[in-house]
Order: sequence, then C-alpha cells, then structure tokens
Amino acid sequence: MSTDQPNPGAASAARGTPPPLQPPGIKQTLRDVWRVIVELWWRFFDWLAVVSWKTLLVVYLLCLILAAMLHRPMTFFFFVIVSAIIKVVAGGKRRAELTARQATQRADDEQLERSVLEARMQALQAQIEPHFLFNTLGSIDQLIQTDPPRASKMQQSLIRYLRSAMPQMREGARPTLGQQIELCRAFLDIMAVRMEERLQTVINVPEGLKSAVFPSMMLQTLVENAIKHGLEPRATGGQITIIAEIVDGQLTVHVLDNGVGFMPKGNDGVGLANIRERLKALYGGRAELIIGVPAAGGTCATIKVPYEVAPVTA
Amino acid sequence: MRATPAPTAVIVDDERLMREQIAGRLKEAWPELVIVGEAGNGREAVAMVHSLEPDIVFLDINMPEMDGIKAAQALAGKAHLVFVTAYDQYAISAFDHGAIDYLLKPVEPARVALACRRLRERLQQKPTPMDDLLEELSQRFGSGGVKPREYMRWIQASVGANIRMIPTSDILFFRAEDKYTRVQTEGFEALIRKPIKELIDELDPKEFWQIHRSTVVRVDAIAQVSRNFSGKQLVHLKGSDEKLEVSRSFNHLFKQM
Repeated sequence: MSTDQPNPGAASAARGTPPPLQPPGIKQTLRDVWRVIVELWWRFFDWLAVVSWKTLLVVYLLCLILAAMLHRPMTFFFFVIVSAIIKVVAGGKRRAELTARQATQRADDEQLERSVLEARMQALQAQIEPHFLFNTLGSIDQLIQTDPPRASKMQQSLIRYLRSAMPQMREGARPTLGQQIELCRAFLDIMAVRMEERLQTVINVPEGLKSAVFPSMMLQTLVENAIKHGLEPRATGGQITIIAEIVDGQLTVHVLDNGVGFMPKGNDGVGLANIRERLKALYGGRAELIIGVPAAGGTCATIKVPYEVAPVTA
Repeated sequence: MRATPAPTAVIVDDERLMREQIAGRLKEAWPELVIVGEAGNGREAVAMVHSLEPDIVFLDINMPEMDGIKAAQALAGKAHLVFVTAYDQYAISAFDHGAIDYLLKPVEPARVALACRRLRERLQQKPTPMDDLLEELSQRFGSGGVKPREYMRWIQASVGANIRMIPTSDILFFRAEDKYTRVQTEGFEALIRKPIKELIDELDPKEFWQIHRSTVVRVDAIAQVSRNFSGKQLVHLKGSDEKLEVSRSFNHLFKQM
C-alpha cells in the first residue's frame, strides 16, 4: 500500500524539476527570437551592402506595387529612404573591411616571403667557391714546407673565413660592419698571400662605424667579385679599397677596384642580384646597391643601408 | 751510346706558391726532369714554350690574360701537356676520357709520381695535337666555341655626374629623346647615347619588347594595356605613371588571346 501511494513530497519534488524552468523558458524563447531578428537584420544589412543598385530598384518597384495595393505610401517611402541610407553606409563599411582584410593578408604574405627569401639568400651566400678553397689549401700545403709560421697564419685566416660562411656558425646577434670588415680582411689576407704583389688592399673604415649594423656576407661578395672579375683577369693585378662613411644619415660602404672594369654581359650578376634581393627583403626601399664606374676605370660597388648602431651585447 | 738529353718542363700557374709546389713535387718524383721556366699566365706560357721548346708543360686552367685551355690550343702538338687544376668538374670529366693527364691542387706526391711515369713512357712519342678534346674542353669550360647568345644584363648610363651600371631588371623602359636614349627605372632616370635601333639588338627579346619606333619596354614592368579614345593602345607600367603609346606596327604584341 505504501508502495502504491507515492510519497507526495517525493512526487512533488520529482514533478517539481520542470516547473521552475517554465518562466525562464519564455524568456529563453524571447531571447532566441531576438537573436534571430538580430541575425536577420545583419543578414539584411550584408545583403544590402553587396546587392547591386539594379536589383535594389527592382525590389523597390515590387514594394511600390505592394504599397499601392495596401495603400501605405508613407511606409514605402520610409523603407526606400532607410534602406538607401543603410546601403551607402553598409557598402562603405564592408568595402573597408574587405580592404583591411586584404591588406593584412598581403602584409602577412610579404613578411613571410621576405623571411623565406632571406633564408634562401643566406643559404646561397654561404656557398664557398671550391676553387678558392682548394687553391688556398694548396698554398697552405706549400707554405708548411717553406714557411711554417706563415702557413699557420694563413690557415687561421681560412678558418675565420670559413666560420663566417657557414650559416649555422653565424651568431644570432645582428651582424656589425666591424665583423664584416674583419671577415673581408681574412679573405683579403688569404688572397694577398696567394696573389702576392698583384693585390694591394686599403681598408678605410672609421672606428666609430664598426658598431653599425650591416648585413652579413654582402661585403664579402663585393670583395670576391672585385678580385675575381676585376683584378684576377689582369696579369698586373691591382688595388682593392674599402671605404665606409655616413652620407645623408645612411651607412655607405664602397668597394672599389682598379681592375678590368665591369662587363655589361658578364655573368657576375648572380651575387649582385642576391645582394639586391636581400637588401629589399631586409630594408624594403631604404637600402640600395649601386654599381658605379669610376672615371679612372675599374668598378665601384656601393651599398647604402640605414645607419643603426647594434645593441651592445655582454 | 750517347746519353739522351735530360727531359725539360715549363710550369705555368698564376700563383708562385703553386708553381713552387709543383716544382718541389716533380723534383721528388722525377729528379732528372729539368724545369727550364715558369710562367704566370697563358700568354707568357705560349711565348716561353716557343722560345724554350720544353718536352712537357704543366698548365693551370684558371689564369689571367689567357686561360690554360686557350694556351693548350695554341701549344697543341708542341709539347706534352699536363693540366693542373684546383676544381673544374667539367674539365676533369673530359680529361678522364682523353690522353691528356691532369693533376689536382693541392698536388699529391703519389699522383705526381703516376703522372711522371706516364710522361716518361710518352716522351718517346711525338706529342699528339688532341684538337677534338681541347675543343670539347673549351666548350665545356665556356672559354670559346659556340656559345648561346649573350644579351646585355647591365646598362652603363650617366646618372647626374656619375656613371652607373643599372641592371636591366631594374629598368622600366627605354625611350628615344633627341640625341639620347632615356633609361627609366622606378627611382630615377638616366641617359645613354646608344640609339634604340642598336639597343634592341643587344637586349634579350624575352625581357624587352619594342612597342614603338622610339620605345622599348621591359615586359615584366607592364601593368596593363588600355585603349584611348582614338583607339591607340597605351601601356601602363608598374612603378610609373607614364603611359607609353604602342604604334600600329607593334599592335600585334598585345592582341587579345
């Protein structure tokens, strides 16, 4: 019996769970309806923004017929004016949004492109000319027999140079002009031993500019070009001059040679094209590479980058 | 029986240390060989071989004035040749098929000894000219023979008071103006004396198109082509507001696909 008669309290408790939900249920429905209205409004808004004026005119015509049948001209005019205003405003907003999205996309793409490009260029720059390497090792081999202290010095120069050319060996900090000059000096020291009196070197870089930021491996490429295409083809050789100065707030570095001069059809453009690409990737339009022809003959390659002092690292 | 005269050799390399090294190695491997002369470039080498008439010439490939392959062509048949090179993968593969021996720098004593043994055997014979091999080498090495046509990659032009080399990839267009030809880039303009007529022959036709008697445009710099009210085609450029007229005879370049 007691089992047939359920405990009223328990029953009310069991039945009581749904009722408290009833009043918020109405609110919930209202909220849902509101959400749908908002949603529809924004859809209408977006539709207005993208719909062509021609289609809109057709819609107005249909509304006009409807308004005439219902005898509600004021509602019709109200609708036309409001929708036209919304169309103008919404159209502008949407276009602005689209432009902004495209601009962001483009900026991201460009950024990515730049970093990929820079990485690829660095890898390319890192290639050491086998000719250079084997000839230098040959000279060291010979010096070991005839002049061991000089052999040791040349080997050290080679090690310094190779270290700079290995991308994974490069330090994470931003390269400075001072470091780049030292690497050129290592290369030029090696070449001076090999070419003897056929190579003279003048480096004229003020102490104060050595802490300036300067991209890696660019100066080396210019110096190598000057030797390979300017001086080596000449039996008498010549002189290489490196000068750094500040011109109009830009760090300007010249690599000058008095060799055979630049060949318009020559194939020494790859290294130079790499420098150009890397400068564009690193600085946009704020840096440049200029190949000049000095009145006295030879070639003068100039790199201009924004002057910036490297942060001091402990 | 009369002793045969000692064999003679000339060493040609633009680096003194390398010449010393080869001479040193030869002395160990072949003490009887007399080094009668050393030369620092191909031209000197040819003159020296003509005057000293050595039996053997050790020739570097990469040298100023005249490279080793050209020198070898000039010396073919006059002496036994041995090339000495640091690294020329194409040349080495060619040597492997030929009668000419070669040494790699830095030269190893064992390899020099082998080359000397071969030379001693060959000294009894007259040096062979080996024209075919040298021709092949010269082509592979790019120092002669039939080469693909080379176009101008740089334009030498005066910008203000200075002379500059401008890469063709920076140029938007060339345009005849009075006695000069204007070279327009995105950032500046320069003048050259070479007329359009001569210029067009030296530019890569894949890179530059002539669109008018007085205008040559870089194809990649073209943004679009429009027509004006009188039906003339106008070329719009990337990086310049200037519009270039296409004359009737060049209209076909922009015919619709």
